[in-house]
Amino acid sequence: MVASAVAGEALTAGNGNFTMNLEDQLRDALRRRNPSVGFAERVAARAHSGYRVDPVRRFRGLWTASAVALAAVVMFAATLLWRRAQEERAGHEAVLALRIASEKLNQVRSEVLWHTENQ
Amino acid sequence: MMKLRPVILLMACAALAPRLAAQIQINLDGLASKAKESVEITLDSSMLQMAGSFLSSGKPEDAKLKNLLSGVKAITVRNFKFAQEGQYRPEDLQSIRAQLHSPGWSKVVGVDSKADRKTAEIYTKTDQGRIVGVTILSAEPKELAVIYIDGTIDLAGLASLGANFGIPPIPITDQSKTKGKE
Repeated sequence: MVASAVAGEALTAGNGNFTMNLEDQLRDALRRRNPSVGFAERVAARAHSGYRVDPVRRFRGLWTASAVALAAVVMFAATLLWRRAQEERAGHEAVLALRIASEKLNQVRSEVLWHTENQ
Repeated sequence: MMKLRPVILLMACAALAPRLAAQIQINLDGLASKAKESVEITLDSSMLQMAGSFLSSGKPEDAKLKNLLSGVKAITVRNFKFAQEGQYRPEDLQSIRAQLHSPGWSKVVGVDSKADRKTAEIYTKTDQGRIVGVTILSAEPKELAVIYIDGTIDLAGLASLGANFGIPPIPITDQSKTKGKE
């Protein structure tokens, strides 16, 4: 019982100190301070000089996005062209294959007819 | 698992066997180096699909070709022209002929001209009355041609293509008269 009473008093005393410190800190932080000498001139001068934070950094993201988009477009176009070239090659080969097949078929047919008529 | 392995292998072989048996294997690889002109074309179904895409440009000739190719699954062409005679052996065609003795295939045309030393054969594979494969073998002293078409194809349509490719239509009666005079 004695121990808990002592602990309670200590806690109350501690809380009071903590509240006081916080109030002091807030008061100090929110206290009006005058700007340093020449602050307004420095701000005005920087605004007039067109100061930018970091142009390279600002546009780096844009460049990266553009490069990725360009690469995607190039890859898509290359795939389309490759596909078209494959189709063209297959088309030419198919036409040639049919031409040879047709030629040989007609050749054999004419041979057969010639032999039939001459027998 | 070990006991199942032979069964799985057997099932895989059984599944692949009809497909392999259906395709005629043409092995004339060594002849291209001896030939003065050679055409070697192998088009599978995916390549023929691409060819179909290329041909669909709205031209009437292309439409005819596309129609002819519509039922074709594969085309293999081997055509060799030699500067001299004796560059290939007649036995080179034996392995192909042996495959054409398999069920479904039949020889529809065979010409063996001893005088000209020419042989020409046309084999067709039929399934339920439809032509589902054509093989043309043509052997001359200085030329050898093997054409294999897997799939349904209109032979009359194929023969009629000759004129469309700049090859004049064969005047059969006139040619026989000409040859008869020789």
